Amino acid sequence: MKVIDLQLNVRGNSKLHQILRVMKFTILLLLIGSMHVYADGFSQSKISLRLQQADLKRALILIEKQSNVRFLYNQNVLKNVGKVSVEANNEALVKVLNDLLEGTGISYKILEDDLVVLNFDDEFFAPADLKVTGTVKDSSGNPIPGASVVVKGTKNGTSTDANGSYTITVADDATLVFSGIGFATIEEKVSGRASVSPTLAASERKLDEVVVIGYGTASKRDLTGSIVKIAGKDVADKPNTNPIASLQGKVAGLSVVNSGTPGQSPDIRIRGTVSIGAVKPLYVVDGIFNDNIDYINPNDIESIEILKDPSSLAIFGVRGATGVIAITTKRAKAGQTTVNFNTNFGFKKLVDKIKLADAEQFKTLFAEERSYFDPPVLDPFDYTGLTANTDWIDAVTRTGKFSTSNLSVSTSSEKNRFNFGVGYQYDEGIIRHEKLEKWLMSISDEFRISKAVRMGVNVNVSRQNNPYDATWVLDAARKVIPQISAGTQQFRVRNPYGTDSIDMDLYSGLDVGLQSAGVVNPLIQLENEWDKRRSFELRTVGSVFGELTFLKNFTLRSTLYADVSNINTRQYTPLYYAYNPKNNEPYLYSQTTRLREEDNTYRKFQQDHVLNYKRSFGDHNFTGTAGFTTYYFGNFNRIGNASQATGATGLPIPDDPRFWYINSGFQDPSNTASTGSQSEYTTVSFLGRVLYNFQNKYYLNASFRDDASSRLPELNRHQQFWAVGAAWDISKENFMQTQQVFDFLKIKASIGLLGNQTASRLDGTPLNYPFYPNLNTGTNAVFGTNVYSAADPEYIPNPDLKWETVFAKEIGFEANAFKNRLHVEANYFNRETRDLMTYVDRSALGLKNKLVNGGSIRNTGQEISASWDQKFSRDFSLNIGGNITFLQNKVLNLSSDLPTGILQRRFQNNGSAESRTTAGYPIGVFYGYVVEGIYQSYADILKSPSAAAIGSYRPGDFKFKDVNGDGVVSADDRTVIGNPTPDFTYGTSINLTYKGFNLGVDMLGVYGNEIFRTWGSLESPFQRVNYSGDKIDRWNGEGTSNWVPILGQGDRINYNGSSYNIEDGSFFRIRNVQLGYSFSQAMLSKIKVKSLRLFVNVQNLKTFKNNYGYTAEYGGDATAFGYDNAGGALPMVSTAGLNITF
Amino acid sequence: MKNNKKILWSLLVAFPMLFSIAGCKKFLDRKPLTATLDDLNQGALEGQVLGMYNILRSYGGFSTLPWIDFHSIRDDDAQKGSDASDGKEVVTEFDAFNYSKDDWAPNTYWNDHYAMINAANTALYTADSLKVTDDASLRNVGEALFFRAYAYWELVKTYGEVPLINFRIVNPTDGIKDKSPLPTLYAFIDSNLQAATLLLPLNSDAYGNGYDGRVTKGAANTVWAETYLFRQNWARVVAICNEIIASGEYQLNADFSDNWREWKNSIPGAGKNSPESIFEMQATVGANAVNNSSLYNGSDFGTSQQVRQNGAPVSWNLGWGWNAPTQSLVDAFAANDPRKERTILFSGQSDGGPALGGFGATVPAYTNPDGTGGLAQKYWNKKLYTGNDPAMRTYTGYINQSGSAGWINHRIYRYAEVILMLAEAANELGDGVTAAANLELIRNRASGNLGPTRTIVPPIAFVDKAQMRTAIKNERHYELAMEGKRFYDLVRWGDANSVLGPLGYTNRARYYPIPQQAIDLSGGVLKQNPEW
Repeated sequence: MKVIDLQLNVRGNSKLHQILRVMKFTILLLLIGSMHVYADGFSQSKISLRLQQADLKRALILIEKQSNVRFLYNQNVLKNVGKVSVEANNEALVKVLNDLLEGTGISYKILEDDLVVLNFDDEFFAPADLKVTGTVKDSSGNPIPGASVVVKGTKNGTSTDANGSYTITVADDATLVFSGIGFATIEEKVSGRASVSPTLAASERKLDEVVVIGYGTASKRDLTGSIVKIAGKDVADKPNTNPIASLQGKVAGLSVVNSGTPGQSPDIRIRGTVSIGAVKPLYVVDGIFNDNIDYINPNDIESIEILKDPSSLAIFGVRGATGVIAITTKRAKAGQTTVNFNTNFGFKKLVDKIKLADAEQFKTLFAEERSYFDPPVLDPFDYTGLTANTDWIDAVTRTGKFSTSNLSVSTSSEKNRFNFGVGYQYDEGIIRHEKLEKWLMSISDEFRISKAVRMGVNVNVSRQNNPYDATWVLDAARKVIPQISAGTQQFRVRNPYGTDSIDMDLYSGLDVGLQSAGVVNPLIQLENEWDKRRSFELRTVGSVFGELTFLKNFTLRSTLYADVSNINTRQYTPLYYAYNPKNNEPYLYSQTTRLREEDNTYRKFQQDHVLNYKRSFGDHNFTGTAGFTTYYFGNFNRIGNASQATGATGLPIPDDPRFWYINSGFQDPSNTASTGSQSEYTTVSFLGRVLYNFQNKYYLNASFRDDASSRLPELNRHQQFWAVGAAWDISKENFMQTQQVFDFLKIKASIGLLGNQTASRLDGTPLNYPFYPNLNTGTNAVFGTNVYSAADPEYIPNPDLKWETVFAKEIGFEANAFKNRLHVEANYFNRETRDLMTYVDRSALGLKNKLVNGGSIRNTGQEISASWDQKFSRDFSLNIGGNITFLQNKVLNLSSDLPTGILQRRFQNNGSAESRTTAGYPIGVFYGYVVEGIYQSYADILKSPSAAAIGSYRPGDFKFKDVNGDGVVSADDRTVIGNPTPDFTYGTSINLTYKGFNLGVDMLGVYGNEIFRTWGSLESPFQRVNYSGDKIDRWNGEGTSNWVPILGQGDRINYNGSSYNIEDGSFFRIRNVQLGYSFSQAMLSKIKVKSLRLFVNVQNLKTFKNNYGYTAEYGGDATAFGYDNAGGALPMVSTAGLNITF
Repeated sequence: MKNNKKILWSLLVAFPMLFSIAGCKKFLDRKPLTATLDDLNQGALEGQVLGMYNILRSYGGFSTLPWIDFHSIRDDDAQKGSDASDGKEVVTEFDAFNYSKDDWAPNTYWNDHYAMINAANTALYTADSLKVTDDASLRNVGEALFFRAYAYWELVKTYGEVPLINFRIVNPTDGIKDKSPLPTLYAFIDSNLQAATLLLPLNSDAYGNGYDGRVTKGAANTVWAETYLFRQNWARVVAICNEIIASGEYQLNADFSDNWREWKNSIPGAGKNSPESIFEMQATVGANAVNNSSLYNGSDFGTSQQVRQNGAPVSWNLGWGWNAPTQSLVDAFAANDPRKERTILFSGQSDGGPALGGFGATVPAYTNPDGTGGLAQKYWNKKLYTGNDPAMRTYTGYINQSGSAGWINHRIYRYAEVILMLAEAANELGDGVTAAANLELIRNRASGNLGPTRTIVPPIAFVDKAQMRTAIKNERHYELAMEGKRFYDLVRWGDANSVLGPLGYTNRARYYPIPQQAIDLSGGVLKQNPEW
């Protein structure tokens, strides 16, 4: 035993010195053992040694002689060691030591100054606690507040305060991991230092980003697929209650079609329309599968990941084909307690109004149309009482208010991490009285019970007041003629609830001689009924998990999830009057009080049990995952209707929420009816996945899933899905080390089979039991006054039914270049959907419908995204990003069960607006006649091909093109007249930071799609509606117009769907502009505030578009989308807010 | 600590076990939480047949505007009605015979008839595969055969040749067929009706209580007789009509208006299925059904033909006002024929009270074709005016309500028509006595049973075949006006050109073109009618 000078580098710890003074040898050992040493000299030593059956002690002495190292050990350690053998010829000391100590139960540790400590494996170095402090700074020397400081390999951590300072107690051999948003993560070994103050370089990009994959997380570097991660803060301060709405234009391959209605989910498609049934992606929130995320507070979101490629999606099995949006909610960050409060407030304004005729124009146009009646009506229409000039769109819209406020508290210790958040959202629509209110709460708590065991709970609760459904109002408003007043007029009427007379302000009814069927003054119902609805939704989503780490490399995690929600709706119909504008007399517009009560319950339960194995063997890095999961979905609805009793004793149900129940005591018991609907389904699945790489250069991912679903009969119940992906990090190769351009370059490819749990009717409504058709309800036989239910199955089931599958391929690359300033990612994908589950609608043949597998669709596309980050100075930095997605959708073939291989979706009167899904064309193309012009005269008619096969026509009517050139215009001349799928979509964003100021501008656009406008042209000819603005330029004599036809509901030829209805759907939008100011740390620290940011935000500032409608965005379902039905107004939203952290 | 670890270990192992032990198979076996066809007895043969009654009631091609367009609006007695701007295309299509190949009404008419045929084929397939022998099931077979024949008969009258689908369609492409020739179609209709007459009961009581108006042998025979009438197979008409008469199941109502009453002796619905009724589409609307869809089992047949409110008070918001009588019908009636005021409701006049099928109300005046300040039609179909029965409106809750009168049964065949068919066939066979005697039955009832010495609707003695033929034609015109028989009568008599020619009728208009949609769906296998 050598005597060793213990005047070591024991820095700044007086307690340590004290102990040193009184130490016994073992304590000394432990102390020294916990100090890390830079072992350069050590590792360079070369040893030659040949021993057979020698004492270990002797071996150590020989090594000491050959090198600078000195061994420290307790005699007990060597007491029971047998003889050792070693043979080394100028080998590295490490290797020699490893060989020597193998199987002895002894480990070694290298300290500074070439000291090596030996001890028993299991007692080795219980580390001492060391209080480490420091300041984290950026490369310019500014402190970084909120940076995360975590002990590597543990969950122990903290974050920096406003001055960038932190304090943490760690083992003195620990390695600290420092990370901050926008900065590259670095690791620092403590090595006994009491102060560690690293400098973080600006983010080295998303290389080591951890992303959510199914049933776990992984470093993006280790994956072969395409996952896009969006930080929660990017959606938190945008004025959308649904966070997905904020992703529009941000992610290549993700199509978001927004709606202006508060609370309504956007139409989301990932990498094209993959099915003729369901196209919605799967949402996975902290592991639980869902079909919507309405209960999530955008402020609680840590990150959103969009999973697009086969190697990421196969693990989701039968639900993977439509893509996955995975949402991770916030967890407490390691370290201190943080309180965050943020709020914003703003206004919504209708910006792109549609044009309609005003009173004078209506008069002119209607008189003209009457002159075309057969026989012509030349008397002027009697406008008695119709004297207003109302802009009906103005009359039903308003400036809406928007506000959200959130408070969150998070705190963590080594054993416990707790996060709590409450939020309130107030979202008014631009239609009068349209208002959504939501309260959200989230709690998550995670306990570390021992080193090996963690448990946690997570609960989200949301309560929502659903708005009065005013989605019908915009369409109703534009139909009313401007002559109807939107104001009220006072009348003395009999109190509808009593016998006395009262004065009431009444809205005007319509001139029923002119406008009746399907046209109403929307204000009458809206103003009288908007507050007669009580609709509350209470949703609780929660999970508990336990996680056990064992045998070093294994982790078993079991999670139980539940999502239970209830929507209770009570709708009361009061009694109210309107007045007849023709004779100025009031009349009871709503004559019976009614009550409808509805209860909708959803129950979703999921359990996941996932075993993870992670290990590195030299250059081989391996992560294996195996899991078992089940899912239950149940939906139970009850609906009751009651109305007041009639007859002498019957009283109206009072206009008092106290009585708005089915059994209120006022209802007519003989006329109270209830009904309901219910369904459930289950799946049981096994899954497995391997992530492997060699030298962090060559990557291989493989996954597998077997799904069994209750929706299929036993025979076809199981289906398997798989994917394999490979990637090559070229930048790690030696030949790349000399070049200066690329910092990172990875190429990747994956291939796999995904499933689509589509069993739906053509309009996308689900068939929960595809093998058991419903009996159509309401099919009753009547005999006399007796009613008997008939048995009428909805369709013919198919015993060979199976799920449709998507065979997907992807190839792409990711690169960082120019000192990581440029990041580029590009992918090519090809997704072929096979065995389309087809609901064959044969009602036009008078036949029962059928559900079969058949047909395929191919989506191919190219996604490119790029960004440039540059810091020009300490105060000024710039980030520019952009993405573009090209998409080609093609129907390869369709079920042979379709009589002609065509899927038709027809709308408006007699289905004149038609979407067709046909082999060889994109899905859901618009189909109809091509308008060549207008017949200008009878002479023109005579010299044109006859269109008599379509119907009668005259000058002023559409001249349809003889597409097939057979000399006549007939139904055979209908052709594809538009495609609702864009050729490409793009988005770009610019972020500028100057000192505390930050300016962000997001823009987006789509190009090359068409819109089918149904309003102002294809209304039912049974209705008289106000003329759309373009009718001012109608044909009214030779040469007056060659595009807008003659006015007249009798000219039925013009009511055929044609290219007249087709509009260019391309648009470009300044989606979001945000200007923010963050106060400096120096200022804030005086008032004990960690950070404070103020911002103003404008969403939908300006849209450049080419169509007549309110917007250029129209969603829909898989086979019919892109219809402008005079709705969808997307407002401009201006908000201002603040975000403060204590 | 070690103990704790053990507990946690076992908990974590037990965790998955707890939830998976229940068994995958049971967890995965989920059947619908509502009844399916499998859950019903006998392959739901009864239920399937009841479905055909539902089609008859609720499908537009059988009982609402499309049916009225084809059967009534395109004759000389009726016009579209409603007001000037409502449904203008129907004026073009049906009043002026510019038939459209692709419009809602004609498409619906075609589709719905094939829906009925397919429903019948499926039910018959079920019955066949179950080898049913019990009386109830055999009656079901008879009903399915009846509905299939009825639907084909309607198609043949309207389109001439149509595709014959006489099997259950399993693969959709099985349904793609071209038209069958008329003799094939007639042979098919004959065989179906013959079998139906053997399987169906003489009256609905055989089905049990509560099945008033369910299909009987008499109904099958009446349809059959009509098919022979159109084929001018007079002997078969006489034979079948005599069989119907001999059954003793039917008699003429004493009051002509009693054929259309809904409310009788304070009992809602008691006026339906009168002794004169042979086949009615059945509809009912329960007490206070207005807000309760499950109590509404009505039909738009009644609603579509009630007085349209336009500028009149809301109490006249009875319906859509379609199928309005023409001036030509008003002029056709003898001035003193009591059926005139029982068939036509005059705007601006009293409805005549109960004696004339009214309720004592005064109809608002006609103002102009827009109906500004009043009504848009001068005349209305009074045979459907029962929709304004205040008792029915109070009972159902449809008072001043959204223009609905869904409780009205559609009287498709009544005994008077059997008597007139017999008269016509007998006359053609040279049996003037029988012809005159049966004509007299109708005319005497029309007069109010005033007997042989009456001066109004006086008896007509047989002079010769031509004179009697004209008399019978006229009688069908008056007796069955607005009931949807006239257009097809004019076509089969060869009178369509002379009567309807001035309105735009040409010979090709006897058959309607096959809807473009059906041709599209067949991929061109189904060929358009030659003249279209």
